[in-house]
Amino acid sequence: MRMTDRDAEFVGFTHDHRPDLVRMATLLTAGDASSAEDLVQTTLTRLYLAWPRVRRADNRLGYARTTLTHVFVDETRRAHRRWERSADGLPDRAAATGLAPEERDAVHAALRDLAPRQRAVVVLRHWLDLDVAETARVLDCSTGTVKSQTAKALAHLRAALTPDPTTL
Amino acid sequence: MLDLRTTLDRAAGDGRPDGRPVDPAPDLRRGRAALVRRTRRRRAAGLGALALVGVAAVGVALDRPATQRLPSDTVASSPVDAQVALVAATLEAEPYAFGLTPRGWGVGGRTPTAVTIVPDDGSTSADPDDFRGKLVVMLDANPLDGREVERDGRTFWITSGGGYTTMATPTLPGEREGVVRIQFPDGAGWDEDAMLDFLGSVRVGDTAEPGVG
Repeated sequence: MRMTDRDAEFVGFTHDHRPDLVRMATLLTAGDASSAEDLVQTTLTRLYLAWPRVRRADNRLGYARTTLTHVFVDETRRAHRRWERSADGLPDRAAATGLAPEERDAVHAALRDLAPRQRAVVVLRHWLDLDVAETARVLDCSTGTVKSQTAKALAHLRAALTPDPTTL
Repeated sequence: MLDLRTTLDRAAGDGRPDGRPVDPAPDLRRGRAALVRRTRRRRAAGLGALALVGVAAVGVALDRPATQRLPSDTVASSPVDAQVALVAATLEAEPYAFGLTPRGWGVGGRTPTAVTIVPDDGSTSADPDDFRGKLVVMLDANPLDGREVERDGRTFWITSGGGYTTMATPTLPGEREGVVRIQFPDGAGWDEDAMLDFLGSVRVGDTAEPGVG
């Protein structure tokens, strides 16, 4: 099949940025690799359909990350439990990270304990470094909601991931 | 002290779960297939709409002599009752710009807070304050309400009533902050997919004035 401009641009974008989206999806799904892959596939399909708009975006990766967040929130609304299915299991495989497997699993477990939107807030605010207003815009909620969700999520993550000095 | 960013960055992995180079081909296949499905769906919807228009036009002709037609019949039976086709061309409707253009429609008029887009067949009033049969594009800060629909990474709110369907979505980052709305007249050939695509293609310029109320 002939390669259109849309095809060529999409292929170039996917080649360059699919790993970025997989990484974000990995955090959003708390390390569930198969769910993360589903999210990324859905996101890229939406991007292909909307490519005329993606093409006009100042920041295509930013547009894609927003789409990924919306796909994630949308999916969790429709099938909330689906994202919790790996709560008792380990991620599909050990990703190549700088963390030891048990450390990585602890981080994913801590993320898994958060509500999906809290997880999204953490990823947007503390991994992508979006400000409160931008995070609120991506999640279609108020800045107050972002602040309160951030506070709750951070309290949980600190408690779960900070070593207990009495055990050292 | 927990360095959350570094911890998350390392827990995110390298984005290559199988450790293999990125192969965009499967994503391209899925995208193309989705595009084909969407095109078929729209064609089917368009044929259905044309069939309904044909039945309605025959009904009008049989029910009422031409000399007794009401002014509103001009809009109801106009050629734009056929399914609207969106083409990939920019429609400048200052202060708005659309990435898609409805074939057979163009900018009608402007008020300080609204731009109208009208069918090219002259079936609508030249009065800029008469919105019957026209698309009305507005920017405001009113609350979003109605049915929520996710499309291409954006959320849209849809309400219907009074012969119109109104769609609204927050403006994009970098645009003037607010809610951009389009009021679509019922029976003018706009199905929901077309409305969503058209509104989703809008860019709101800096000079857009938010309406009040």
